[in-house]
Amino acid sequence: MSYVELAVTTNYSFLRGASHPGQFVERAAHLGYPAIGIADRNTLAGVVRAYAEWEKLDEESRPRLLIGARLVFRDGTPDIIAYPQDRAAYGRLCQLLSKGKLRAPKGDCFLDLNDLMDFRERLLLIVIPTGLENLKPMLKALGPDTWLAARMLYIGEDRRHLKTLMRFARENRTPLIAVNDALYHHPDQRELQDIVTCIREHVTLDQAGTRLQANAARYLKTPGEMFRLFRACPEAVYETLRLAGRITFTLDELKYNYPHEPVPPGKTADGHLRDLTEAGLRKHYPEGIPAKVAELAEKELRFISVRGIAHYFLTVHDIVAFARTRKPEILCQGRGSAANSAVCYALGVTSIDPNNFDVFFERFLNADRKEPPDIDVDFEHERREEVIQHIYERYGHRRAALTATVISYRSRSAIREVGKVFGLTEDVTGKLADTVWGHHGKGLSSKQVRQGGSDPANAIIARAVHFARKLTGFPRHLSQHVGGFVLTEDFLDTIVPIGPAAMEKRYFIEWDKDDLDALRIMKVDVLALGMLTCIRKAFELITLHTGEDFTLASVPQEEPEVYEMLSRADAIGVFQVESRAQMSMLPRLRPEKFYDLVIEVAIVRPGPIQGNMVKPYLKRRKRYLANRKFVFDYPRPGPQHNQDELKDVLHRTLGVPLFQEQAMKLAMIAAQFTSGQVDGLRRAMATFRHLGNIEDYKPAFVDGMIGRGYVRKFAEDCFEQIKGFGSYGFPESHAASFSVLVYVSAWIKKFHPAAFAAALLNSQPMGFYAPAEIVRDAREHEVPVLHPDAAISEWDNTLEPNEEGTLCLRLGLRQIDGFAEKDALTIMAKRGTGYLDFTDFARRTALSRRALVTLAEADAFRSFALDRREGLWAVRRLPDDKPLPLFETRVAPDQGAETIAPLPVMPLSEHVLADYRTIGLSLKAYPTQFLRPRFDAEGFTPCARAGDLGDGAFVRVAGIVLVRQRPGEGNAIFITLSDETGICNVVVWARLFEDFRKEVMGARLLLVEGKVQVSPEKVVHLMATRLVDRSADLRVLSGETLAPVTPSPRHPRNVRILPPSRDFH
Amino acid sequence: MWLPRLSTERLKRDDASLCDGKRPPLVIAGRANNALYVAALEARAQRLGLYKNQPLANARAITPDLTIIPADEKKDLELLERIVVWCDRFSPFVAAVPPDGLILDITGAAHLFGGEAAMLDHVTQKIGQQNFAVAAAIAGTSSAARALAKFAPGHIAAPGAEAAALARLPVAALAVDDKIIAALNRAGLKTIGQVQTRDRDELTARFGKAFVTTLEMLLGQHDQPISPRRPLPDLMAEQRFAEPIVTQDAIVACLLSLAGSLSGILEQRGLGLRRLTASFFRADGQVRRIALRLGGASRDADRVMRLLRERLDSLSDPLDPGFGFDVIRLEAMLTERIEISATSFDSDEHAKHEIQYLADRLSARHGEARVLRFVAQDTHIPEAQSVAVPAEDREFADRVWPSRHLKNDPPLRPLRLFEKPEEINVPFATAPDGPPSFFRWRRAQFDVARAEGPERIAMEWWRNISASEKRTEAASKAQTKSENETAPPRPGDKSEAQYPTRDYFRVETRQGQRFWLYRDGLYLQNGLAPRWYLHGIFA
Repeated sequence: MSYVELAVTTNYSFLRGASHPGQFVERAAHLGYPAIGIADRNTLAGVVRAYAEWEKLDEESRPRLLIGARLVFRDGTPDIIAYPQDRAAYGRLCQLLSKGKLRAPKGDCFLDLNDLMDFRERLLLIVIPTGLENLKPMLKALGPDTWLAARMLYIGEDRRHLKTLMRFARENRTPLIAVNDALYHHPDQRELQDIVTCIREHVTLDQAGTRLQANAARYLKTPGEMFRLFRACPEAVYETLRLAGRITFTLDELKYNYPHEPVPPGKTADGHLRDLTEAGLRKHYPEGIPAKVAELAEKELRFISVRGIAHYFLTVHDIVAFARTRKPEILCQGRGSAANSAVCYALGVTSIDPNNFDVFFERFLNADRKEPPDIDVDFEHERREEVIQHIYERYGHRRAALTATVISYRSRSAIREVGKVFGLTEDVTGKLADTVWGHHGKGLSSKQVRQGGSDPANAIIARAVHFARKLTGFPRHLSQHVGGFVLTEDFLDTIVPIGPAAMEKRYFIEWDKDDLDALRIMKVDVLALGMLTCIRKAFELITLHTGEDFTLASVPQEEPEVYEMLSRADAIGVFQVESRAQMSMLPRLRPEKFYDLVIEVAIVRPGPIQGNMVKPYLKRRKRYLANRKFVFDYPRPGPQHNQDELKDVLHRTLGVPLFQEQAMKLAMIAAQFTSGQVDGLRRAMATFRHLGNIEDYKPAFVDGMIGRGYVRKFAEDCFEQIKGFGSYGFPESHAASFSVLVYVSAWIKKFHPAAFAAALLNSQPMGFYAPAEIVRDAREHEVPVLHPDAAISEWDNTLEPNEEGTLCLRLGLRQIDGFAEKDALTIMAKRGTGYLDFTDFARRTALSRRALVTLAEADAFRSFALDRREGLWAVRRLPDDKPLPLFETRVAPDQGAETIAPLPVMPLSEHVLADYRTIGLSLKAYPTQFLRPRFDAEGFTPCARAGDLGDGAFVRVAGIVLVRQRPGEGNAIFITLSDETGICNVVVWARLFEDFRKEVMGARLLLVEGKVQVSPEKVVHLMATRLVDRSADLRVLSGETLAPVTPSPRHPRNVRILPPSRDFH
Repeated sequence: MWLPRLSTERLKRDDASLCDGKRPPLVIAGRANNALYVAALEARAQRLGLYKNQPLANARAITPDLTIIPADEKKDLELLERIVVWCDRFSPFVAAVPPDGLILDITGAAHLFGGEAAMLDHVTQKIGQQNFAVAAAIAGTSSAARALAKFAPGHIAAPGAEAAALARLPVAALAVDDKIIAALNRAGLKTIGQVQTRDRDELTARFGKAFVTTLEMLLGQHDQPISPRRPLPDLMAEQRFAEPIVTQDAIVACLLSLAGSLSGILEQRGLGLRRLTASFFRADGQVRRIALRLGGASRDADRVMRLLRERLDSLSDPLDPGFGFDVIRLEAMLTERIEISATSFDSDEHAKHEIQYLADRLSARHGEARVLRFVAQDTHIPEAQSVAVPAEDREFADRVWPSRHLKNDPPLRPLRLFEKPEEINVPFATAPDGPPSFFRWRRAQFDVARAEGPERIAMEWWRNISASEKRTEAASKAQTKSENETAPPRPGDKSEAQYPTRDYFRVETRQGQRFWLYRDGLYLQNGLAPRWYLHGIFA
């Protein structure tokens, strides 16, 4: 007895199926099905997941995997499940779905029966009848290779219906086929099925009624059960085998080929790549190509030729060349496993000179790896769209599309939705969701439930939490990937369906990057990087004011002053090393050369931290800095092996493995892994991909090393370190590419601080710090900063020389909250030789009242001799924007001059407060300055002095809360306080946090009592023992009440010291 | 008078448990733009730093432990109205100032309490005794009194001295648009006094004429009228008598004529009556009001009259005319448009109306809760597919009865469903899903001639969790005290025994009876035979 289920709806038919594709495949294998068909609702999104799970099963006993789709029509045609027999028919199915998706809004698919007829050839069709009326002509139209589905779903009249259906089928000469129309793999999933139905229908379980299935019959049944249910019609069960037997298509057949555009006619791809490489190298080394580089390039070219991936490099080159030849040029830089190569340097994809620096192409040179090469290219974030549209133009929408990102339920969204279904108020679910700090919570523990103020034993909450856990990981919808492009020579829509994205003129396929990896399809990541925008803008400002021209590659290399600055942790705004963790690492690491930056970037990552590599490395670094001649001892293998084998792998990182590449090499050389094993280990390490458990490799690894004469303890330590990468490793190639930007941005900060600050502000949002900190840092570096002024400022922040000739940073109108760019452009366009006074300004710019109020609130009328208060009073007097036609004549076009009594003078403190509220910073004074007498009287230490009292001193520090952070699931909360003297870094342990939750989350002005901790590198931390919310003191500034901050976890960049006032505009 | 904590005090009046000082602070959540915010809060919550109009999420982040109750403006308003009525005792002219204020015209009343100050004390004390926080002030104009009550409670502004009294109040007391208040604050004009000193033209140019009028009104130059207390009816008809009437006949005759004239007005406007109030004003000042509700809109005077008589006859405390009524009034409190539709000759429109009239009459006589009607419910569970609701409740009137029953097919559901399924004895049935070949019910044996099924209906697994899981909870508590070990009930782990799935069969016995049977629970591996029940009888 045998049976094949052909009507399977997985959870990729979003909120319809209640089991993962893999669960169906596993269950089918368990039940001994010879095959299983996956047919989701107008989509192929889930088939690769099924394929990936299927690949893992035992080759002998696994069922065949049949790929199909359930076509759901909008013209009243009953659902039809379509299975392509061969590759060509599969292409037609993809085209059919693409057609339906392209005419529908994102996430939908509009199909008519006629569309199916256009792509009908060699598709096997199963019609799922809803009634027998109007079926006859349709079956006639569909012709042969059409089946009629029969279901036994316990609705009461099953057997009578089957009889009717059998008669009808005989009359129409259409075979019947048995299906379960399965929604889940096992009847236990029924509850989850009910829940997803409710989520889809936006109802609670109590309201759902007959929208739910009446029973749990829609699961994968045993062949025996199928024959029993269909005992009146066993031929319907046999038909499933016959249909399955006629399908030859498998996903392995998806052959992939790269576009041929970049190759000029009459040339081979390999030849063209060689020509480009040689030309590039000649340009880079006008005095002659170094032998080392030439040899390397030759080796790489040979390898590329063997692997047949020249097209890939040419395509990347093509995209990069486009960006480079734009006027003005779009800055870009490649990274990824294949990017750190002499070829990529020659092609201009990267700026890492292979002559000065070891490139790591060898990671990629492993010929056994069938994986596609991987190059990500970062572009300026403001101009990436140009590149994307270029790609569409060059390759066409049928050959270029973005990959998808599967948006899945995370514990936050799951508990919200499931709670709603159980009728819990948003209040309760909100509390539960809020206890998950950040977005990627893995699941709700009962501790978190209690923290949310709910009793986990409460029956309804317990259920909601239980099902939220089950729902976590379910796909919710597809979204476009930020920049992963799939480009093909063949039409892409015959490989995978393509649909429109929410953004106009964007299209994306139904598979995500894991799916593409599983099918070994290549992609290019076209990503956006804010720092590139910032660097380009800084270069432009430098050119404008000094006449010097720079590019990423032409910035003077290895300037000691740059490294000296970084070693002082003077790194606000510098790419990658500006976070607090990085800043506390810099003085310990004391970078001196480019490679130190590569390590700096890679070491402050969860991977090395969890792998316990940071401390050993720092220890060795310290010893090395103390004595540069120091020779480190490397464990050696047995005497018959190369005694320096570990040294060769690890000497660059002083014997501590920090990069993925080193872990791989270690496995290969010291543990004698085969390339297949290395590949498996690498996949096991990759984040979020559960393609094998890393622990499985431990015995082979440890035994391999012992076999070569290493001590067991050392072997085990090595493996633990490698395991650390499992959560988050950083490949050396990525770190190296990033380090170029670290160096360049640090160089600009060091030698052109004004241009750096202006460029940073003009590239917002990016980086880690709010504008207030960037401006403060610029002023500390002796850059005079000027307030935005309606008469002088442009939209962007600009530089202007003052009387002494020093370049000052003039804040732009973009710094004013809520001021529109188009209004700024109007002001710039109408400015001419300047505005006479406020009336002249208002008349000539004809700005809306709202815009004028915004400018006045921001104190931007000082050039017109109006301060904030007078400005507002003057704006108020202007007539309303759009008078009703009836009253138009009554509004005098020009108001006469008005003499009024002076308004009460606004105190400085109030100005400062208003500055913060409108431009997020104040150049006039720091808010705490006004409170200093009060603080002094209470004996508080200013922030910058906290370290002066030495390690272990007990101090009380009050300051404004700049940043609060709780990294990961960490048990420490970091708070950065600031006052007019500087900043102070506070650490609050999680246990203390529970007692002072309100203070930590709610205070703007915080008093912290605690012990000072000063590290040998002079890094100062204040370990809090008590916190007091002193926000009320800020009232002194204005006499107003301040609303507490919103305590939701936000990017520190977006946290405002003082929020925009609620009573504005 | 200002009752700043009206909403929370309303809840405390209704629910004594809220008065417990140990429970988490009380906050009332309102909803605006799809977000929850703090609509009102008790003093205790305010002391914790929460404030009105704060987003609820923020409030919770600061104080995770809160008692949160959704806002109900309607109930607040009802309570305010009740307070207004109650305040009749101080002055006949009382008006509500929603959402949380009242205004009393005490002209000529103060001397009864021994002067204005004494009256202010008395009134605030009396209201305080009713457990309301209250702030009150006295002034010559209503708007000045309002501003003083909120910003300087207890103040008594002598006539003409409003301007001086108000001068030190913040501009927020101006009761104008928030934007204007913000603009004044920004200009440094923080008190009403400062605003007063500005040139009127300067103010008009910036804030408009209306603002200046408001300002002057506040300062005592104009006054606003007080609006009456009861909501005005849509329509009304009344009759006043020079000589109060006492006899039943006269009252009925009067009602009949009023119903007639009301019906005339309704007809002119194409309206029908849904709610009606009859008011009987006694010569000695007492008022008796009787309210009526109709199942469907109508303007048939006879019908209205019949209902009124039913109602008057069935009053538990009959209408007492005392020395006679001097006014009788009929007010249409709720009207609805009546759609006139052409009816065909053979339609049963009339019959439908008759049922409606009958329901109205029965409801008027016996009370609305006593006359019920079945409406359809959307569920798979047979016994829950209908539910009885008051016949006068029109909310479910348009519910349709679902049916997947095909023409010419025998019905799928029995005509009569037992309230409680009756257990039957089935010694033998085909496993796993066959019908019985015979069964015993009420001591008689029935041989099954024909059967169809099963129709499998799974129970609603999310219901009845309280009973079964309370046990688990209690058991687990007894088992272990350790907090982390307390295993929450495992709901996904349901056993068939807890929510048995039913397999229904339609059977016809050899004798020709048709029954609806079900097997309670599936055949399981453990071999326990499931029970069978008879759930209904087909006609």
